[in-house]
Amino acid sequence: MAKAESRQDSVHVSYTISRQEILARLQDPALLLVNVMPRETFEAGHIPHSISLPVAEVESKARRFFPDSDREIVIYCAGPT
Amino acid sequence: MLERMGYTNLRYYVGGMADWIENGGPVEKVKPAAAPPRSGQNNQSQIPRTSWTGFLDLLASWTLERLVGFWLGMILVFGLVYWVAGIGMGWGLQAGNIAVKPDLEGLGTAIYFSFVTALSIGYGDVIPLGALRILAVAEGVAGLLVFGCVISKLVSRRQEDLTAEIHRTTFEDRLDRVRTNLHLVFSDLGAVQQLQAEQGALPGQVLRRLESTVRVFRGELQTVHDLLYRPQVIPDEETLESLLANLVICLQSLVELNASCPKDPRRSPALENGLRAISNLAREICGECVPRTYAPQLKESMDQIQELARKIS
Repeated sequence: MAKAESRQDSVHVSYTISRQEILARLQDPALLLVNVMPRETFEAGHIPHSISLPVAEVESKARRFFPDSDREIVIYCAGPT
Repeated sequence: MLERMGYTNLRYYVGGMADWIENGGPVEKVKPAAAPPRSGQNNQSQIPRTSWTGFLDLLASWTLERLVGFWLGMILVFGLVYWVAGIGMGWGLQAGNIAVKPDLEGLGTAIYFSFVTALSIGYGDVIPLGALRILAVAEGVAGLLVFGCVISKLVSRRQEDLTAEIHRTTFEDRLDRVRTNLHLVFSDLGAVQQLQAEQGALPGQVLRRLESTVRVFRGELQTVHDLLYRPQVIPDEETLESLLANLVICLQSLVELNASCPKDPRRSPALENGLRAISNLAREICGECVPRTYAPQLKESMDQIQELARKIS
């Protein structure tokens, strides 16, 4: 699984996380897994302990779910982002 | 998008569910919970809920056919009561000074009387006696109420049709405008490209023009993005396909232009911001993430858009 390929945004660099790290930290409560797929896709199957936050609802619900802007949040989608 | 909202510690699992499943990661499913029964009444009125208003709301929630059926049934039931009350009680209906007899003809008269009362006609050829008068008045009131509901339902049906029609037309207008604007953006970008080919580095004026084109493009991209993520009306696939195709060619031009003059110091912050916004918006147009499933060609277009978005910044 490809490792850190920091994307060259002209403003900030996004970090990636590897599958191994997620697997290792599945039980870690500090790891916040966010699934951005539509609700039905989430219900059909998601990584354990991840929460559903469809892209359409990010603006309205993100603040409520993660009030802390510094929290480590891992985002994943259906396939290669 | 979360970056825009100020979250600073974001990490992406690039492979996504596909990679996870492919490598045998544990998957959790959600058991479909029984959805709590919805009360179907979105417009809860603020007036205090007494039994009467509850009854009115109930009437309002019925379909037209059901209301009419209820109205007819009510009349028949009242008629029966009038008829039966005449048996052995000494009250009952009276038709021209003769008591209505509890036989088949009497039943007919009772039902006739019931209709006449409920419709607020009240010919007066059959009249109620004694306590039956109370019943008759009650029937009059009920008949009026139900009739009122029926009429208002008929009217609102037409109105609902009209409102839906209006929404659809404004929506189509808006889509048309987006399409036109995208065409303009594309031809503008083409003109800038041509100028650049002729003169080398972009003169300041052309850069400004690019900036305003980028601004328009960003607006239209935002509209399409909203269309996909907040669909109040579902666009038909053909229109969406053409919109996405337009987006693709515009993005392609933009990518080429951007690549050809990367470090010109005259590029203003407004231009950079616009480009970044475009890139972010386009990146979110992902075939898997949108709330609806679209046909594969549409998903392809969306993937193309994502690809191009990455090349912009």
